[in-house]
Amino acid sequence: MAATPTHPNALSLRDVVKTYAMGAAVVRALDGVSLEIAKNEYVAVMGPSGSGKSTLMNIIGCLDVPTSGTYCLEGQMVAEMPEERLAEIRNRRIGFVFQTFNLLPRADILHNVELPLVYGGVPRTERKARAVKALQTVGLSDRMTHKPNELSGGQRQRVAIARALVGRPSIILADEPTGNLDSKTGEGIMAMLDDLHAAGQTIILVTHEEHIAEHAHRVVRLRDGLIETDEVRRTSTRHPVPAHARDMAVMGAPA
Amino acid sequence: MKLALDLGESFQIALRALRANKARGALTTLGIIIGIVAVVLTMTAANGLQNRFRESFSAVGTDVIYVSRMPWVVMDDFFLYRNRPNLDLREARALEEKLRGRALVNPTVDTRQDVKYRSEGMEGVTVVGTTDKQIRMSSAQPQSGRFLMSFDVTYKRNVCVIGTDVKEGLFGAADPINKTMKIGRTDFRVIGLMEKQGGSFLGGPNFDRQVFVPISSFVKAFGGNRGREDVNVAVKAPRQEAMKDLEYEVIGEMRKIRKLRPAETDNFSINKLDTLVGTFNNVMGVVLLVGLLVTGISLFVGAVGVMNIMFVSVTERTREIGVRKAIGATRQSILLQFLFESSAICLLGGIIGIVLAALLTAVINATLMPASISIPILVVAVAVSVLVGVLSGVAPAYRGARLDPIESLRYE
Repeated sequence: MAATPTHPNALSLRDVVKTYAMGAAVVRALDGVSLEIAKNEYVAVMGPSGSGKSTLMNIIGCLDVPTSGTYCLEGQMVAEMPEERLAEIRNRRIGFVFQTFNLLPRADILHNVELPLVYGGVPRTERKARAVKALQTVGLSDRMTHKPNELSGGQRQRVAIARALVGRPSIILADEPTGNLDSKTGEGIMAMLDDLHAAGQTIILVTHEEHIAEHAHRVVRLRDGLIETDEVRRTSTRHPVPAHARDMAVMGAPA
Repeated sequence: MKLALDLGESFQIALRALRANKARGALTTLGIIIGIVAVVLTMTAANGLQNRFRESFSAVGTDVIYVSRMPWVVMDDFFLYRNRPNLDLREARALEEKLRGRALVNPTVDTRQDVKYRSEGMEGVTVVGTTDKQIRMSSAQPQSGRFLMSFDVTYKRNVCVIGTDVKEGLFGAADPINKTMKIGRTDFRVIGLMEKQGGSFLGGPNFDRQVFVPISSFVKAFGGNRGREDVNVAVKAPRQEAMKDLEYEVIGEMRKIRKLRPAETDNFSINKLDTLVGTFNNVMGVVLLVGLLVTGISLFVGAVGVMNIMFVSVTERTREIGVRKAIGATRQSILLQFLFESSAICLLGGIIGIVLAALLTAVINATLMPASISIPILVVAVAVSVLVGVLSGVAPAYRGARLDPIESLRYE
């Protein structure tokens, strides 16, 4: 089951268990999940509420660490890292896109996009140049001085995507990115993610909507803290899946 | 480098936060403003009192020892001093004789008398019998006319030199020189007017409400006690550094004059401006301490206000903290962010407080006493306001820094 060295993994989870103490009871949110995602894969994680998909996303996003099992992100063992190192990993390797956008309301758009670079210690001039470039990528370079509440939902989500992109992360982690948008705007956002994927970005998408999941070329379904199915849907993607990614998907599928 | 970026970001956040909640920020800042104004004014007032003290005792030379029956400041039991003999003129003359060539000696006697010129009168003016050497004991000089001279003393002339308050009281705007005034029941001719000395300080001596007369004339006019007046003898050291030696010499000579046996304690007192200043500084120290404690309470209340609002701010921005953490903010960054915010509030309050205190000080200076805000006070005020900011921000900032990013992102 080991990842073949010729196929560099973006991430690999091995027997990940996460338990929470809910009062006296212990809840097993993840009950031994193993998953490998290759670079430039476009994966949708699906599952009903309580299936553990949020917990999985939190662990992949380094917001949380597994109770047991290993998590290796681009060759780095994340599970044992202290909080300060996790913050650095989040800063450099993960780009979050949230359902509720989560922009800072008082800061203008440019500053919102610059923020990961501020925490990454990037000098001011470079920071600004990169933020402007990221905003150009999402087509909002004319709105840089606006506050988030002066933008539409779709525009806000594009700002969030620019913010996720600006740090050149290994993975874009999109948690229900279209959940707060009407379907037309949502399609626009999905098209943008598709383009990013075509440009070589690894994307992990959490959704419960089938038509959104169709954008991904691989769908991982969770149920009761376990991976239920892990299937590759080559037909639904506009771009061919790299061969190694397909191999990984097959190998990562549970018995 | 990283820290500098953090600080720059923190500063922007603090400004945005203050701008977003103007009324709240203003009210919180007000608490600090009041605290800082109170503390600064306390320090300024203490400073002013000290200046005033120095000014009012400038007539008392720092290189002069005063030998008297009583100490100027009685700190212990008054009854220890009550039975001491007066220092009389004979003893004063003997001391002068012993110290001849070593120090300048000037005996003085004083009493309170009513003074009168035509229809104007003043009650209880200090009348000092002294000699021509008085003028060499301190920096005070006559502003018009002349001071007493040796022949005034020798010939027991009824002449006097008056202080500015006496001149105001008796002569108003008129020139007092060569006018004849009554001291008690005796006529004295005014021959000089002293410079202004600075008036009374907290009920202390008022050197402007004084009349100098020749000591010989004093005894003739007000003596009546067979020459056993209570004399003060001023002994001026030739050099400031010789003060300590001179003090021992004076004590030795006085003991000889009084024929005290080795086991007996001194039955006279040595007074110096130093002891007075020392006593004053001790008292001022206590006053300042109490003042700072009391005003410190108002600053503390202000700090509690800041802490409270910072807790509110952290709670309000739980989600923001979650977002910041998700995109890479460390605990330290979050901690710094909120510490910076509370410090900014307090620094702002401190600066406004200092400006207000400066205005109030100007008013005090114009009305009550010579007061000014000194650079050390400014530095202390700024440092204290920043310190208050940091201290009141620590607990809220720590809470914010410790927030779990997942919980915070979920926070509504």
